[in-house]
This record gives sequence, C-alpha cells and structure tokens, in this order.
Amino acid sequence: MKTYKNITLQRWCIIGLFATSIIASSCKKSFLDVDPQGQQAAVDFWKTQEDATKGVNAIYANLRTWENLAFPALVIESTGSDEADKGSTPTDATFFNLYDTFGVTSSEGSLNSFWTGQYRNINLCNQVLDNIPAITMDETLKARYIGEAKFVRAYSYFRLVRAYGDVPLRLKIPVDASEYNIPRTDKAAVYAQIEKDLTDAAAVLPQSYGSADLGRATKGAALGMHAKVAMYQKKWADVLSLTNEVIGLGYSLFPDYEKGFRTQNENNVESLFEVQCSILDGNADASNSQYSQVQGVPGEAAGGWGFNTPSEALVAAFETGDPRKDATILFKGETSPQGDFIKLSVPNLGYNQKSYVPFSLYVSSFNQGAQQNFRVLRFADVLLMNAEAANETGNAALALTSLNKVRARARGGLTGILPDVTTTDQTALRTAIWKERQVELAMESDRYFDVIRQGRGLEVFGPKGWKANKNEVWPVPQQEIDLSGGLLTQNPGY
Amino acid sequence: MKRKFTKLSVLTFLCFFFINAAFAQDIIVKGTVTDGQDKTTIPSVSIKVKGTTRGTQTDANGKFALSVPANGILVFTYIGYNAQEIPVNNQTTINVTLASSSQTLEQVVVVGYGTQRKIDVTGSVASLKGDDISKQASQNPVSALQGKVAGVSITNNGTPGSAPQITIRGTGTIYGGTGVLYVVDGVWYDDITFLNPADIANISILKDASSQSIYGVRAANGVVLVTTVRGKQGDATINYNGYVGIQRVTNAVKMTNASEYAQLVNEAYAISNAAPLFANTDLGEGTDWYKQIMRTAMVTNHQVSINGATEKSSYNFSLGYLNQDGIIERNSYKRYTARLSNDYQVFKSLKIGYNVTGSSSKSNNPPATIYRALYTAAPVVPVFNADGSYGDPSDLTLGNGANVNPQVTLDFNNSQTTKNKVTGNIYAELKFAKHFTFKTSAGGDFGQEERRDYIPEYEATSGQNSNISKLVIGRTETRNWILENTLTYDNKWNDHSLTILAGQTARRDKSYIITGTAFNVPYNTEGDLYLKLGNADGRLIEDSGSINTANSYFGRVNYAFSNKYLLNASLRADAASQFFGGGDLWGYFPSIGAGWVISNEEFMKNQNIFSNLKLRGSWGKVGNANVPINPTTAVVNQSAALIAFYNNIAQTGASITTIVPPALFWERSVGTDIGLEMAFLANKLTIETDYYNRKTEQAIFNIPILGSLGTSDSRLLGNQADFRNRGFELMATWSDKTAGGLTYSISGNIGMNTNKVLNVTSGSNAIDAGGDGLNNAVVPTRTVAGSPIGSFYGYVVTGIIQTAEEAAASGMAGARAGDFKYADLNGDGTVDAKDKTIIGNPNPKYSYGINTNFAYKNFDLTLDIQGVADVDVFNANLGNRLGNENYTKDFFDNRWTGAGTSNTYPSASLAGGNNNQTNTFYVESGAYIRLRNVQLGYNLPESLVSKWKMKKLRVFANAQNALNFFGYKGFSPEVGGVPTRTGVDINVYPLFATYNLGVNLTF
Repeated sequence: MKTYKNITLQRWCIIGLFATSIIASSCKKSFLDVDPQGQQAAVDFWKTQEDATKGVNAIYANLRTWENLAFPALVIESTGSDEADKGSTPTDATFFNLYDTFGVTSSEGSLNSFWTGQYRNINLCNQVLDNIPAITMDETLKARYIGEAKFVRAYSYFRLVRAYGDVPLRLKIPVDASEYNIPRTDKAAVYAQIEKDLTDAAAVLPQSYGSADLGRATKGAALGMHAKVAMYQKKWADVLSLTNEVIGLGYSLFPDYEKGFRTQNENNVESLFEVQCSILDGNADASNSQYSQVQGVPGEAAGGWGFNTPSEALVAAFETGDPRKDATILFKGETSPQGDFIKLSVPNLGYNQKSYVPFSLYVSSFNQGAQQNFRVLRFADVLLMNAEAANETGNAALALTSLNKVRARARGGLTGILPDVTTTDQTALRTAIWKERQVELAMESDRYFDVIRQGRGLEVFGPKGWKANKNEVWPVPQQEIDLSGGLLTQNPGY
Repeated sequence: MKRKFTKLSVLTFLCFFFINAAFAQDIIVKGTVTDGQDKTTIPSVSIKVKGTTRGTQTDANGKFALSVPANGILVFTYIGYNAQEIPVNNQTTINVTLASSSQTLEQVVVVGYGTQRKIDVTGSVASLKGDDISKQASQNPVSALQGKVAGVSITNNGTPGSAPQITIRGTGTIYGGTGVLYVVDGVWYDDITFLNPADIANISILKDASSQSIYGVRAANGVVLVTTVRGKQGDATINYNGYVGIQRVTNAVKMTNASEYAQLVNEAYAISNAAPLFANTDLGEGTDWYKQIMRTAMVTNHQVSINGATEKSSYNFSLGYLNQDGIIERNSYKRYTARLSNDYQVFKSLKIGYNVTGSSSKSNNPPATIYRALYTAAPVVPVFNADGSYGDPSDLTLGNGANVNPQVTLDFNNSQTTKNKVTGNIYAELKFAKHFTFKTSAGGDFGQEERRDYIPEYEATSGQNSNISKLVIGRTETRNWILENTLTYDNKWNDHSLTILAGQTARRDKSYIITGTAFNVPYNTEGDLYLKLGNADGRLIEDSGSINTANSYFGRVNYAFSNKYLLNASLRADAASQFFGGGDLWGYFPSIGAGWVISNEEFMKNQNIFSNLKLRGSWGKVGNANVPINPTTAVVNQSAALIAFYNNIAQTGASITTIVPPALFWERSVGTDIGLEMAFLANKLTIETDYYNRKTEQAIFNIPILGSLGTSDSRLLGNQADFRNRGFELMATWSDKTAGGLTYSISGNIGMNTNKVLNVTSGSNAIDAGGDGLNNAVVPTRTVAGSPIGSFYGYVVTGIIQTAEEAAASGMAGARAGDFKYADLNGDGTVDAKDKTIIGNPNPKYSYGINTNFAYKNFDLTLDIQGVADVDVFNANLGNRLGNENYTKDFFDNRWTGAGTSNTYPSASLAGGNNNQTNTFYVESGAYIRLRNVQLGYNLPESLVSKWKMKKLRVFANAQNALNFFGYKGFSPEVGGVPTRTGVDINVYPLFATYNLGVNLTF
C-alpha cells in the first residue's frame, strides 16, 4: 500500500516537473521584445504641439553648455584679444596660453569642443526645422518656432564661420550614413545661409513676448544679429538699414551701465538677446551654466576659477573717469557695488565684472553664478554698428548721434567725462567708433573677432604673436579632419 | 521530539529489514580503511552495499563494521579518493587501501552544466579547491585567484568591499561589461563580492572558447564556475574559521615637504615670468597629508558553518561576518553572510534541493576625491591653524589645483552604501530509464543597494564650504531570474562512454534606480537623514531602469573511446533582447574538441616516464551580449540640461540628440586551444601547457563620429573591429613526500599573452581615443588597428631642452628651457599632434605565480609569489596638474634647474608649456613581483584537541602582500581600469599589506 502510494506520488512529481519546465520554456517571441525603459522611443516623438515646444526649449537650453559659454568659448572668442589675459595662477590650465600667444595647434582640445558645441546647437535646430512642419498644431506658433530655430542656427553658424572660416553646412538631419561626412562650404555661402535664416526669422518673430516667454528670440534679435553678420561682411548699406530698423523697434539704453549686468536686470530694455541661465532649485543639471564660474573671483567659495581676466591694456583703454572701467573690472582690493571685497591675495589684477554674480546669491553645490545670463546682443552694440555703417556710407551726422548716445549713457549723469565725439573725418570717426566698441563691449567676447574684421589683427594682436594670413581663423580640429578621412581641409598656416 | 526520531529510525530500520529479507544471508564484515600513500587510516569513508541503501561510515580510526549479504559487493567512497568496489565473498574482515584521486584519471572537474573526469576534458579548464581559496584569508573570493592560474590575471582595487577586476587570457572586448560570467550553483552573476570565500567548495575557470561556448551569450570574457560547500556524509560537523589582522600601506610614495614644495612653486613661477609666490622657502617639513589621513586598519573575519548529511539528505549552514577598516580614516566595510543549502533524495530517482544566500553589507565610504586630494594637497598648508580653524590653501594663493585641505574633505564626508541581497536556486533532478537525468533549476537574485550622501552646512575654508546642506539617497533594485532545464543521457558500454546533454535557458534581468535629493536637511542624528526633513522646494527625484531578456537552447555530446580518444562537441543558440528588432536576433555558438590520451595506448604500457600524456585541441565560438539595452532604438533625450528658462521659469525640453546604428550583430569570439598534459614519476610532476588564439569578431562599441553631426556624445555604436589575443600558458607542479615526513608541493604557472587590434571600420583612425588624460582633454590612450587595445599614445621624449636657443630651434610652439624635448617623428620640422605615437602597452605580456605548500608533522606552510612583467603604467598623477599641486620627492631630487642639470626630468613647470602633454616620461614599467601570501599553520596535537571535544584545531599566521618589488613611481603598479584606459594611474587605492592571526576549529 505504502509503496503504491509512493509510486503515484513519484509519478505526479515527474509529471509536475516536466509540465513546469515546458511551461517555462515555451517562451514566446515577445519575451525578447523589451520596450526601452524610462525612455520614450524617438519614433513616438514629434507628434504633438507639446513635442514641438519641448524641441524648441531644448535649443535654448543647449546655449548654456560649457562649450557655448565656458572655456572653449572663452579661448576661441576672447582670450586671444588684447583685452583679456589667461587669468588664474601662472601654472593653472596653461592651455589658455596657447590661445593667448597663438601657439595653438589643431589637436588642442578646446578647438574640437567649441566646434562640436556649435554643431550640437545646430542639430537641435535642424531637428525642429525638419520635424515640426509635419506636426498638426497652431500654425502661428509653428511659424514662430521655426523662426526661433533659424535664429539660433544662424547665431551658431556665425560663431563657427568667425572661428574657423569655411565649415560644413548642415541644414538637415542626415538620414543615413552616406550624408554624415560632408566637406567644408565656402565662407561666403555660409554667410549667405546665415543671412537667409535671419531674414526668415525676422519676418515671423514677434517684437516682444509676454513674461512667460521672456528670453526667446525676437524680431529685434534677428535684425540685430543680421546687422552684425552684415557688418562682418562690410555690407554697410545692409548694416545701416537693419540697425535703423532695430532702432525703430523702441529699444533704449539701460540707464545704469553697471546695474544692467546684474541678474535682476536681465532682459532689460537694452537687451536684444541673452542666453537665459537660471538656478532651478535642487537641479544642478539644469542650472549648468559655468559662464560666471570660470571667470569668477578665485579663493572665494562664492567666487570662481578666475580665468579670462581683464588685461592691463584694457585698463589703459578707458578714458579717464569712464565709469565703465569700474563696471567692467572687479579690481583686486576693491569693494564691489554689492559689497563684496575682492581680496588682495588674488593672483590677477581683477576679474570680469560683467559675468559677476554677487557672493550673497551663491547657492552651495551649484556652479557659482549659474544664474547669470550671457548678453549676446545689446542695443549699445546696435547703436555702434549703426554709427559705423553711417560713417562708412558717408552719413557722419547719424554716426555721431548714435555714437554719442552710447557715450551719454556711459557718463551716467556725471559731467566732465566722456565728452561727445564731434569729428566728422571718416577715418577719425571710424577710429573713435572702434575705440568705443572696445570699451563699451569690453569683456563680452566681442573684441577679438571685432578687431580681426576691422582688419587690424596684426596691428593690435601682433605683439602677442598674432600672424596675418593665418590667425584670422583658428585651425579646424584635427580630430574632425581625421574622422572625415581627410575630406575636411586645414586652414592655411596650421 | 527525540522520541519521534527514534520511532522513525526504528520504522526505517524495519523497512530496510523487510526489503533486504529477500537477499542472501547476512554476515558482519569488519575492517579498516587506509590511505594508499601514507598508510594513515581514513575516517568518515562511506561504505555501501552496492545496489542498496544500506551503508555505514568508518569511525575516527578508520574502522567499520557492517552487516552485509554474504554475496554482496561493498563500495568504498571518500572525497579525494578513487572509489573501490570489493565483493564480500563471505569474508568477515576486509581491509581496504584507497588511492588518492588527486592525480589520477578519476579526478573530476566542474564544467558547464555538469562535471567531467579531468582526463576527458578537451578544453582548458582550471580548477581550484575551496582550501586554496580560504587559505589566503582574503576578503573577496576572486582576489584569492591571483597568481593561481596561468592566463588569469586579477587586479585588486583595495577599497574594502570592492570587486577585483579579472581578465582571462587578455582583453577581448572593449565595450559594455568586460567582466567574466560567474555561475554560482547554476545562477548567473556579474560579481560575487557577496560570497564568503569560506563557503566555496570549488572554483572552475573555463579558459578556452570550447569550454565557454556552452554559456554562449555571456561567455566572451570567460566563465568562472563556483560550487559552494554542501553537507558531507556523516555526523554534523561544526567549523569555525576566524582571523584578525591589520592592514597598512606599503611602498608609499614620498612627497615633497613644505620647503621643497615652496622652492618648486617659485621655480615654476619664475619660468612663467611671475614673481615668486613664497618670499621665504625655508618652511620646514610642513604637513605630511598621507600620514595625517591614513592609518593602520583592522580587519576581523568570523565564519561558522554546520554541515552534515544522512543518506536521504544533506545540509550546510554557514554564517559569516567581516569587518574591514579602510586605510583612510573612518572608511569601513562590514559584511554579513548567511548561507543555507539542503538536498533531499525524495525517491531513489528524484532529488530536490536548494541553495540560498543572504548577504548584507554596509560601507562607510571614503570621500571619492580623497586620494587625489592627498596627492595634490600642499605641504605648506597646516591641517589646523593655531586658532583651531582649518588650514586654508587660499590664504597662500595656491590656486585651483591645490585648493583642498584633505582633512576638511574627510571631516565633512558622510557617505554610506548598504547592500542587501537574497539569491539562490531550487532544483529537482530526476533519473529515469537508467541513463537519463532531467534537471530543472530556477534561480533568482534579488538585490537592493542604497547609497546615501550627506553634505552638511559648514564653513571650513574659502574653497571648501557649503551654505546649505544636501542629502542624496539613491536606491538600486535588481530582480533577476534564470530558469534552466537540462536532460542528460549518460551511458558506458564496452570501451565506449557517451554523454549527451540538451538544455534550455530563459533569463530576465531587471534593475531600477531611483534617486532623491533634498536640501537643508538637518543633522543631529543619523535619524534626521530623511528627504522629507529638507526644504519642500528644490527636491528632486530621478529614476531609470533596464530590462534584459535572453532565451537559449544548447546541446553537447561527450564521447570517449577506451579512455584514449575523446571527442566533445556543443552548440548553443542564444536570442537576446538587445538584438531584437535590428540585426540578427539569434546567435549560434558551436564548439568542438578532441583529445588523445597517449599514455593509455598499448605502446605506452611498457614505459615508465609518463604516468599521463594527453594531447588535446579545441575550437569554439562565444558571444557577448553585454551591450546597452535597446541599442538600435533611438530614444528621446529629455535631460535636465535641456530644460529652458524663460523669465527664470523652467520649461521641459526634449529632442533627439543621438544617432543609433540601424542594425547590430552579435560580437563573437572564436578561439582555438591546443594543450598538452603530462605527468611524470608516478604523478609527482605534472605539466600542462596550452597555446591559444582567440579572435574577437565584429566587436561592439562606440566609435567617435564627426562632431559636426551634433550628437550629444559624438559617438556611434556598432560592430566595429576585430581583436586578437594569442598566448601560451605553462603550469608545472611537483608534489612529493620526503622520507623525513615532509609533504610538499611546488607549483609554478606563467601566462604569456599578446593583444592586438586587427582591423577596424574607421581605418587608420583610432576607434577609441579616450580616457582621462593629463588635463585639458589630452587623451593618453588609443585603440587603433595594429596595436594593443588601449595603448598609451603621446610624444617621445628625447631629452630636456637646456637653453633658450635650443628651445627656439626645437620646432615646438611655446617651448622653454626646462621643457621636455619631443621627437619630431615625421621630420617636418615642427612638433605637433602628427608626431604622437604609441608609447606603451598597458596589457601585461607575462603574468606568473609560484605557489607552494609544505606540511611537516603538525606544521603547514603556504608561500605564494605572484607577478606581472612586460607591462606599462601611465603615471597620470604626476602630470595631471592645474597648477600648484604637490610634487613627489623623486621629482624634486631629479628635476631640471638650469642648463646641464637634468636631461630626463623637466623643470618644476610640469603643468606648463608642452610638459603636460602625454609623453614617454609618464609611461613607466608596471612590472612587479610580490610575496602575495605566506601562511604558517599549526595543528594542535589530536590527543590534546580531542580532550576539548574537538576534531581539529589549527592556528595560523598569515601575511598578504608583505613584500613587493617594483620600479613604478606611483603607489601601486596594480592599476586596472576599463580596457580603453587600463593602466592609467589617477590616484589608485594605495597598496597595502595585511597581517592576520587566525584559527580553524572543527567540532
């Protein structure tokens, strides 16, 4: 009896075992078809208006990156100029010296970072431009979004063409591998595309936004940027008409030059376009701008790293009594208008005050000054472009009016300083306007390429090692040339 | 309770009695079992009547008595000895001599999904016994393998609780997981840090592709099979193993003192035409930061196990406790392990059982940046100022590189990791139709890991402070399961021996990570560290997860004829979710192996040189599915960095920022192995040699793509390259016993491996130019066709520029006297990136070990030596400078200080000019040889021990890494790292020696 029972039990056990294993092993194909976890598949994106909104947001957000605002941008667009020194201690991040003294070779890392950083902006713009036309959404909004994307794409190509000359021109997302590797496009054609994008953008972008959209590209931003692009090509008539159009939009100069650069006065009446940076509580990844940090006062928790510092030449460039000197340079030993004392033990003569965020606003575990917007284009710049274009087209009167508006604001109500410029001699006036650009736009990453486009690279930067027919542009990153299998060519002299 | 048991045994006895009544008349047989070699008696030998369940065991003196049928056959079995069958034939006294199986044909090794006689194996499988592992008193089972097996290199990371890196026969993949597959009692793991080394009975390392290929899907980096301790036949045995020890840094690097440092900084400033930083350089010794922050650390380990078995069941239960302090103050690691395994012979044909391991560990983590901080911290900064405040580097304007006071780093560090894991499997094994065994096993691995980091609100120095506290809690959960079914046919007839295996596996790995951050969390007690006590705003929650599945079928045939001719063949088919929807879903991994046991041939019968001579050869394919989840599916990037601000209000941003490959194919390794196994002089000398050639085909990884594509990482995944590892291994062991009673064995092994990238899709471009370099994105490694994976890449230093004139003529932009002089390799008159070349190989060519065991009377001595040779290390510590980091004393003593002072070391401006480019100066030999393990044990005399009711009491003293010899100028030449940046030393955990005292106790 016992044995019989055992055998039955045994049989059941065996049957059970096989059954279990068969059930377990009868895996359907779906077992292997695993959805991406916590990630939306790209094929499900670009379907709704909300997707379009997110895609445009990404474009603006990306302008805050390290490549766009920090070391790579500073060495490419600022340190080479006569207004800035490397900064920090002599032994710290010495690669800055390669840009400061023009010893840079094509494999220097920041060349590639800046290049790639701009193309990342461009990819985000192209994503929007390629994908949102097919989305069913508010058509006015769609047109505006396209205009915003074109503005940023133009801005990025402008930075590229200034830095490298001819560059690969990507206006679409590559569909397959055959479209990955493309040659450099002639600088003139790149400029033409930039102008086309800016014309398109200016046609659809609004003059201003409500407070919920403050900081987006406006019509004024597109026109102003277009004027600057035209100025770099010496299209003076265009510069004149574009700047006149901007002036007609109602911008004005912010009364207090120094305060205009503080966080509470971001996006003020003078602002055409700023890279919007902020501190999002608890989110250091979103509060990722290092623009202020890398230039901040070293040796202070709330300060920064102290790079790209104002030079003796810049100090000397200001006219006696020009309040802009103190507003531009945080001198060693001074107390800032916000009450921060700059220690005498800092290693440099002073620091960039335009990127400065008062120490009291520092939040630990965030980048210092992560909330500081980068001023891309100010109305003062537009006025000076207007002055220069007017002078170049023989309208000295208009030139003087615009130039002196800038000087008048700089005086800040003081008398006996910064007298109005009166000369109508074209050469003298040109020199005065250039000089005004140097001090008005000091430490705003304008000077370096401004001098080159004036054709004075050798004259101004020659003593630092700048060579004509070479240093007008930086070398194309070696890594990019290698990856292109030699399709990309190097600039002359490198 | 006791009564019940008695009843049960009576019943059982009656049962047997009736069953056995059918057999012949019983007689009582008595006898003694002795060891064939040393003639000592053997206790606990199992004796059974063949074909019945009747049996007994020998007592402590090797004696037995058993009632058996007069015509029965007795089977004597004992672990480590050959089984013997003796017909009773009416004898009443049977004395048996058992031959040790350790060197004989009967030695069994664990292979994939089963065991094989060593003699039948046609691939390369190395096997280690639990004793070899536990004799090292190491905290991690994997570190114990160092130097033990030819072709297996272990790189230890000293941090308590961290997993060592194991490489089998060279680096065969460069992307995704490069770790080996660990199979513990049938369950798959990436890491076995959770295991207590004392719970391990056996480790088998499958080295060649043919033996690995039965694990196809994950076998590309090698397979390590771990079998845990199970109960042994006999009364319950209680074991206690424990040790306490100390750990202290050896071979520390001497840094400069305050005076020397000040002098160097002033020299560097002078070269940059800057005024001296230190007006007075006579600053004495200053602070020795290593001395300040490091300590002699304690380690304590206890393990208790109880095991035993009856005929119907076996059990093993163990508890372990490890408490290891780190050599950095306040760094500690505690691990608790519990393990239970049971096997039940439910019916004669059905066995079921389970293993379960619970493991819990808690680590007080050292600050992540402490090693860097110690290396760079300036000796001129006091730990504390006279007023008790922290010494502040900013007071001395030291700049960004040296702005850290390591004491502050340590004091305000509060980081803790706890890991809990429950894992194991249940199985059932059914034997039927005489030759068939069906086994089903379900395994699970449930892990939870929590990391908590708290930064308090503090103000220590200008560079190190925090005006708001921050708490980050991250939790990772893993839930993996594996289900396996195998059917084995096993038969022997005449001279034929045949085993056929067919099997199926389904596997699913799931993980989920959630991280919460809160600010302004108070801290009065540890109980305050909850996110909810922080500010309501600014809280952040982020999560991510992954699911991986795989489905596999496999089969294998092992055939042996007359113990002479061996043939093995297997095939595994794997489908993995990573390859779903793009490329080939199924990967097929075949293998074949053949062997010829020459010594068993007739013509060898009359020779007495070889006691064993076997030639074997094998070929196999394995796969690597350790690639990202859903690699061919483009996904939306909605990261925080894409959040836009309008009027300071955050708005979510998202876009497509990557390019994915349209299709991805299985990465395969194809390997050939030819081996020769020899034994001489009655197995006193054994030699095993292997030659192998393993090629990784269509290896998967990211290659750099044009930056102008604007993707977020500028990389594209794909099947991009072929690699090859080729090498030779030799292992020789001599074991003998002298007339004087000394038993000893001396074993040496050496592995030689050369690694090469054969061809890549990117042509002459590097497929990987990555890894942390010095600073400023100068990358020190290249993985490029024709060179080993992760080769160091940089300039060749030909000397030091002595004068300004020489600098001007050097062809180097910005060169100064005192800088490195780089070779203009392409001869174009200028030194630039085109003059960089391969300057070092981080893959060791030779790794070797010498392992010895001596036993004399009650003493035993183990002495293990281990080393690597022909390998380079990139000493990135030296040149990775932002500014005024500390220097080594060696640098101070040898630096260039003016024309003619040095032609090898540059000036103090080490971070300046071209000096911080990767170059041959920073490449040093990583060769080392060390006394890896010495252990002296003493078994207390049995007469004494038995008085204390013990079976065995052994005390031992042990030292690990006590002596190390190397020329490398960093803390440890044992650097490791992922394949594309192996051997790049950026502040590795300093090398330390451990000294333990311990005891092994058996009741």
